[in-house]
Amino acid sequence: MKKRFGAILLSGVMACSVMVGIAFSTGCRGNRKPDFEMPEGGFDVNNDVTITFYHSMGADNRKVLQASLEQFKLLYPNITVVEEAQGGYDDVLTQVKNEIIAGTQPDIAYGYPDHVAEYNQSYAVQALNDFLPGGTYNDYTVQQVKLDNNGNQVKNEDGSYVYEEVSLNITEAQKANFIEGYYNEGYLFDDGSKMYTLPFSKSTEVLYYNKDLFTKYNLQVPKTWDDLEEICKKVKAEDPSLYPFTYDSESNWFITMCEQSGSGYTSSSGNNFLFDNATNRAFIERFKGWYEKGYFSTQAINGGAAGNKYTSDLFTAQKSLMCIGSSAGANNQIAAPTDGKYPYQVGIASMPQVNPDKPKVISQGPSVCVLKQDDPQRVLASWLLVKYLATDVNFQAAFSMGSGYVPVLKESEMRKSTIYATHLDSANENNVTKANITALAAKVCMQQEAAYYTSPAFVGSSTARAQVGNLLLAAVTGTKTIDEAFKYAIAECEYQVG
Amino acid sequence: MTDKINENEVTPEQQSVDSQSKVMKKKDIQSVSKKQIAVKVLVQIALYTFLIIMALIVLFPFYWMLISSLKTLDEYNATVPTLWPQQFKWANYAVAFETDGLNLGRLFLNTVIVGVVSTLLSLVVTVLAAYAFARLEFKGKNALFAALLATMMIPGELFTITNYLTVTTFQWRNTFTVLIVPFLVSVFYIYLLRQNFLQIPNELYLAAKVDGTSDLKYLWKVMIPLSAPTLISITILKMMGAWNSYIWPRLVANDMAHRLVTVGLRGSTFTDAMTNMTDYPAQMAAVVIVTIPLLLVFLFFRKYIMRGVSRSGIKG
Amino acid sequence: MDSKKKNQWKAWLYLLPTLLIIAVFTVWPIINTIRMSLLKNYDDLRAIGGMTFEFGFANFVNVAKYQGFLNCLGNTMILCVVTVPISTMLALIIAVALNSIKFVRKTLQTIFFLPYVTNSIAIGMVFMAMFQMVGYTAGGEPMSVGIINSIIEAFGGTRVNWVNVGSGKFENMVVLVIYIVWNALPFKILVLLGGLQSVNKQYYDAAKVDGTSRIRTFWRITVPLLSPMIAYVVITGFIGGFKEYSSIVGIFGDGMGPAGNSGSLNTMVGFIYDNLNHNQGRASAAALILFAIIFVVTMINMWVSKKKVHY
Repeated sequence: MKKRFGAILLSGVMACSVMVGIAFSTGCRGNRKPDFEMPEGGFDVNNDVTITFYHSMGADNRKVLQASLEQFKLLYPNITVVEEAQGGYDDVLTQVKNEIIAGTQPDIAYGYPDHVAEYNQSYAVQALNDFLPGGTYNDYTVQQVKLDNNGNQVKNEDGSYVYEEVSLNITEAQKANFIEGYYNEGYLFDDGSKMYTLPFSKSTEVLYYNKDLFTKYNLQVPKTWDDLEEICKKVKAEDPSLYPFTYDSESNWFITMCEQSGSGYTSSSGNNFLFDNATNRAFIERFKGWYEKGYFSTQAINGGAAGNKYTSDLFTAQKSLMCIGSSAGANNQIAAPTDGKYPYQVGIASMPQVNPDKPKVISQGPSVCVLKQDDPQRVLASWLLVKYLATDVNFQAAFSMGSGYVPVLKESEMRKSTIYATHLDSANENNVTKANITALAAKVCMQQEAAYYTSPAFVGSSTARAQVGNLLLAAVTGTKTIDEAFKYAIAECEYQVG
Repeated sequence: MTDKINENEVTPEQQSVDSQSKVMKKKDIQSVSKKQIAVKVLVQIALYTFLIIMALIVLFPFYWMLISSLKTLDEYNATVPTLWPQQFKWANYAVAFETDGLNLGRLFLNTVIVGVVSTLLSLVVTVLAAYAFARLEFKGKNALFAALLATMMIPGELFTITNYLTVTTFQWRNTFTVLIVPFLVSVFYIYLLRQNFLQIPNELYLAAKVDGTSDLKYLWKVMIPLSAPTLISITILKMMGAWNSYIWPRLVANDMAHRLVTVGLRGSTFTDAMTNMTDYPAQMAAVVIVTIPLLLVFLFFRKYIMRGVSRSGIKG
Repeated sequence: MDSKKKNQWKAWLYLLPTLLIIAVFTVWPIINTIRMSLLKNYDDLRAIGGMTFEFGFANFVNVAKYQGFLNCLGNTMILCVVTVPISTMLALIIAVALNSIKFVRKTLQTIFFLPYVTNSIAIGMVFMAMFQMVGYTAGGEPMSVGIINSIIEAFGGTRVNWVNVGSGKFENMVVLVIYIVWNALPFKILVLLGGLQSVNKQYYDAAKVDGTSRIRTFWRITVPLLSPMIAYVVITGFIGGFKEYSSIVGIFGDGMGPAGNSGSLNTMVGFIYDNLNHNQGRASAAALILFAIIFVVTMINMWVSKKKVHY
């Protein structure tokens, strides 16, 4: 029995290969198409079209989306949107990738630019350039149901809709309303000539600080990393049991330092991985010294094995003076009040810089992409939806207030939503509460709109991101020497794409 | 039975007999056997101590799961973990049941449908195959059986992508079919049942042949009743499999009408969008709710599971 | 002769559903795996994008040259070699002990089977919570200490960094071994206890007559009589051990290692998964290598058990 084992397995395999191979070689899988071709007559409002939208929103955000989809349905009654929550971001990624392979991809996918770069290995993502100001379809319009002042559909006497013609494209005016850094994120791919994503909702990193402790030790909010180091020295001299600051995300720290120093991180073409250079080694060396002096903690140092315990717990316990973390997590940075009194006052500021004249802060958060389909009407419907979600102040306001993310539109535009204007005005630097801290964080984000940067997205960019975070941790904690840590990270990244 | 034997007895049945004899003999026991009784008591104490310590170790994570499901989120995240909830937050269970988008009832129903149908079909397929391997003679039987066993050694993760393409080609996505058919055949179950069939004396089969009983009738009337414990074990293992499967269902049937329990549980349903904090106690409560039916099944059918597995020895 | 022929087609008829499903859902994927492993850096997405792939053994070469390959292989081997004997031995002792008692035996039996019916992710979370220390303050004091370290301290020991940043590989492995053994016990106990209960009592009676000691009885009678079941749990244990993956994810997350040392605890299956995302060609090559290893080890196991197992 044993002797024949291999031979049998092989012959069985071969026999079946003929049988099954024939069955499968006829299966249709190809999905390549040229850039978008406008169907005759443009978008057809008289035939029903159904599109699917895969996302990873939790129950609360989903409700906001659903409410907005109802509004969208009023404008385009023939478009049915099926929105499906797929779990986390990675679940969306896996699902969409598999569906592209099988040729059944959804119409719209929610996720990070890295994911879009992966989808696009198969050229499955619709470039949006045709629909932008100056694009191919600049003069095209679509028929949209007219709404009266109460937001109800206007109908003719026979019950048919009254339509109005609106631009199919994003107009120059609409483009100008976007925060530029967020809008330009769509061009992160390949040589930067094509736009593949529209921003959905964004966040960045800000500096949260404990105002009471700052007053106690007579400190000023740091503008640069040098300022920060001075504060660290001072605080440690006063009370060695305190962390002067914490930085939640190691990966963001490394990447932001690259960006602020103008040293290389990654590139979407050519040699992808540029992060092993003298400047970067120098700042890692510096941080290692800081770590040894007990200047900071990060979420992995703070957390357990799986490495994600936000350092806000140290901040709220007043064991650290400052916390550099996501603007979307502002709510976690404020301790619960006892008898209506907050144990300390939170301040929110822009994070420290290498060069305060050229500030750089990370832009992160979800975008949406449109996937190619055989039916051009589906692509058009998808475009109309992503455009609607990105440019509608009411949706942007509701989603932002619900999720803690910031809108992708400028403050001046967002103030057209009275609810959001009230929300922003509720921010009060001198009396920060659970109720208004999100508004203050949003305000700080909007004020630094010129500083946003994004990193190139390509296959392997998520590996690079994970590896530099690991590098920083390994080097500062001494798990690896600085040299080993850099070499290891580069080798891991290159193995992934090589 | 001498006292010497008493010292070494192992099986419980004997123990009971022995303890009776002990009582009876107590009067005329000599000092030697007193010592032996003492040793035996000590051994029993040691055995119980060992078993109870091990049982506590085994139980601890369950205990943790239970108390976690009753803690408030603040207590769950507390710096010093508490061994007993300060206050019982039964509301976590209500949250688990009522959370929007989870729809635990529907998930249960889907899982039961998939579990029951796939178990029934799987039993039919397995019985037929095991019968062929155990009782029928055909060319290349042993080689084929060996080849089937070899497939058990391949990391199944690798099949996922190809199988995904296959079921998409068949247009099986988001159906119950896709959750049932690809896993109908388990080489392990065929193997288990074949071992069991082999243990049924060949004489019975030959006698049946002489009587002119058909194969199917013999299978139905003799083999199946005799293998009932194994079949029940397979049924339960298969049901548990349906209950715990995750990667495949998530990939191919993630719509509400077909979503299974585990898929629903592990989504981000319990993560609060505003704070990005997961409501672990509520999630734990959901895990407890999901684990309970399995536990009940086990408690109910423990005897059969044990018997089935014990008969699977690898003779032959 | 005639009935034998009839049996032939009947046998194939009985096997038809099995073979059909196996052909489509097992054999075809195997063929596809072999195909992909021979195409350099093959990936379905790229294939759809129109990319062509060089034919040859480049994937196997790349896998073997990868800096983490030996580490993955080593971790897998260590976990197998350590956890299988420990869990088998422990299961055997527990089974024998269970078989020697009467009072509350059923209850204990049920308890020992419990891990079989749990959700592995949830239990992984529990284990992590038990071993970790979180929320380090600047003084190096964790704000929260897991129960295991609390126990160690209660007995006057010093805390051990089991799973956090800067933890050593030995400590990590200890945690993994405990978790894996915990997970593996129920099935093994079940099989061995089942075996014990079907052992003919006459052997023990004979031993008693001879006045053999308990320990001797265990090694001379119990173990040989149980050898088929022991061989069975060892072989399946090794096969399972080579596929170890989810236990590591359960405790250490997708990084497959403590923070700052990701990948340090990666295993062969983890390695396959890493590649599956971007490079199915390489994942296939890695899987075939793993298959070859499992195949060889299983053959060795079977060969050994043929020599040692009593039937």
